[in-house]
Amino acid sequence: MRRILIIDDEDDIREVAALSLEATAGWQILTANSGAAGIEIATTEQPDAILMDVMMPEVDGPTTFRIMQENPTIAHIPVLLLTAKVQGVDQRRFAGLGVNGILFKPFDPLTLAQQISDILGWKVGSPDPLPPLPSS
Amino acid sequence: MNKKTEAKVDDLIAGLWKKGLPSLRERLDLLDRAAAEASAGAIAEATRAEAHSIAHKLAGNLGMFGYPQGSEVASKIEHICKAPTPEGLASLAALAKQLRKSLAPDI
Repeated sequence: MRRILIIDDEDDIREVAALSLEATAGWQILTANSGAAGIEIATTEQPDAILMDVMMPEVDGPTTFRIMQENPTIAHIPVLLLTAKVQGVDQRRFAGLGVNGILFKPFDPLTLAQQISDILGWKVGSPDPLPPLPSS
Repeated sequence: MNKKTEAKVDDLIAGLWKKGLPSLRERLDLLDRAAAEASAGAIAEATRAEAHSIAHKLAGNLGMFGYPQGSEVASKIEHICKAPTPEGLASLAALAKQLRKSLAPDI
């Protein structure tokens, strides 16, 4: 089962995203209400992907992402930024950070899992990919 | 996605919406106060900053509850509060009213 960590300071976003991903894709959802808490959970839980808000108090999404990239235990986890900003300049700035994708708020709860899957190349409802065969 | 799953998600979101109505009303009241201060020509910095934060959150979440027009109006309020101009501040009261109207009949 896929495990997704949602990092957002807004309760409504966390709750709607969590219930929609659980109900539509059967994914297990972890949540954090700040970048610092998100880094801690990502380190201990090793989710398959992280969905993170851009605008958060104290440590924002892009800064949290940079901190994650400097931590080898979690740098490999795909990160999708969640933002209400839709200007092209913002899209280019966020894409330039090296995140795996950008999703826009407000999102459609019925299609959120599909959007995430499309970006990450996952099939909704599919089990985790098999690990690579050991080289002989 | 099958209809059963769709209905389940809709029900869950409707439940969250109802649960969040008291908080939403408080947020709308704050936007009304900010608009009133702006109309009076003296919006306090703390009020402006709080209105900006609230409008940003509403812009991001009203659409997921089925109120895309509410998100659009909140986004306009967010931009005005982020970079206020006399014209923008003068339009806040009308936008705050429009926001409430977009959420009827719940609000």
